[in-house]
Amino acid sequence: MFVRIESSSAVPIYRQIVDQIKYQIATGTLKPGRQMPSVRDLAGKLAVNQNTILKVYNQLRQEHLLEVDRGSGTFVAAGAQTLRAAERKEIVSKILGEAVVQAVHLDVSVDQLHELLDKQYEAIDKQRLQGEKRGTQ
Amino acid sequence: MTQAAIQITDLCFSYGRKNVLGGVNLSVPAGSVFGFLGRNGSGKTTTIKLLLGLLKPSAGSCTVQKLDPAVDPMAVRRSVGYMAEDQQMYGWMRVGEIIKWVAGFYPGWDNKLVGELTDLLDLSPRTKVKALSKGQNSRLALLLALGHRPDVVILDDPTLGLDPIARKDFLRHVITLLQSNNVTVFFSSHLLYEIEPVADQVAILDHGVIIKTGKTDQLRESVRRFVFAPKPDATLNRLEGLLDVTHAADSVAVTIEDCDDAKRTAIHEASTNSIQETALNLDEIFEAYVIGNRGTVEKRLALTADRAREASAND
Repeated sequence: MFVRIESSSAVPIYRQIVDQIKYQIATGTLKPGRQMPSVRDLAGKLAVNQNTILKVYNQLRQEHLLEVDRGSGTFVAAGAQTLRAAERKEIVSKILGEAVVQAVHLDVSVDQLHELLDKQYEAIDKQRLQGEKRGTQ
Repeated sequence: MTQAAIQITDLCFSYGRKNVLGGVNLSVPAGSVFGFLGRNGSGKTTTIKLLLGLLKPSAGSCTVQKLDPAVDPMAVRRSVGYMAEDQQMYGWMRVGEIIKWVAGFYPGWDNKLVGELTDLLDLSPRTKVKALSKGQNSRLALLLALGHRPDVVILDDPTLGLDPIARKDFLRHVITLLQSNNVTVFFSSHLLYEIEPVADQVAILDHGVIIKTGKTDQLRESVRRFVFAPKPDATLNRLEGLLDVTHAADSVAVTIEDCDDAKRTAIHEASTNSIQETALNLDEIFEAYVIGNRGTVEKRLALTADRAREASAND
């Protein structure tokens, strides 16, 4: 699993890691059932405090993206999409809210925003397809 | 409450008439990684020397593992691993020789551990110390600080002068060798972005006074900058938690610490238009605390005035 930390970013480190793992689950790079590195190993690999990784895993567990099998480790949850539709919508809606505020500030119209969203979807679809290809090889 | 491995209370120190520390208060929980931040000349190394008993405080006190370095420096040195800033070692010795030489000072030296660490830190006992690279030199200094299995490790700007790869490598060893084994780490640096990934908590020292302590991730999330056009009668200087105000044409950038809804409301009331709220990166946060033009400056001036008054009272 690859995670990249940008130290000059305004995004806290634990958020950076959470976002990247979520992205990798969404694009199928990390598949359900896949074992995650131990807290200690990932902390060592990234040269990041163990408590930060613990916080990341705890949050992803609360969001039902990871599950812990006592004794054998942490895994990507079987149904990594087990959140109820309403909950999922709420998470996305919050992020979109911030995007809309920025769009208004920067004078980006609704149509332009729709266009940008479509492009983002296309990009992620492409990645997901590539991920599946790799998986079947 | 967790126990404090290092406790510093109203610690003062001066070289002659020059005040270096003006009442430092700190508590480092056992088993934590603690980042001790400050600009060059802020008093970091002086604080560390006081913790090791290399200097005696002019007022106040400190303890390490409940031992007072001013009373029993040898007992403190036995329970602490110390890596000095830009540590110099005898260049004519070989790595193996310097290890043996340092081992002689510590009754609890663990040869088995040191053997393992030598491999892990990729050091060869046959190499001459003067032939070591900067990165190898710092790994050797770390090894020498860990050989007696200390409960507390004090690292004085350990990554100074290392390239980015050697630096990350060093921080990785701090995590895997120390945090994993529940060793308390007290780590000084002048780079907040370097401390952030590894530290549970940070303290910012400036002009001999602690101006901020907090959990690393909270520090990051609680400092916010707001950009807006203020009302003509707005008294921005009285905003709570204010760190810095910068004016530009008809708008201002206001940096606030411990930001919450009450403080956001206060800003809304001072503004005539929509407010842009941004998170800051760590360099900006450090800058806001250390050279921000509000709050801390006033606090610092007040402290300096207090000190001057005390000094004249003592004369």
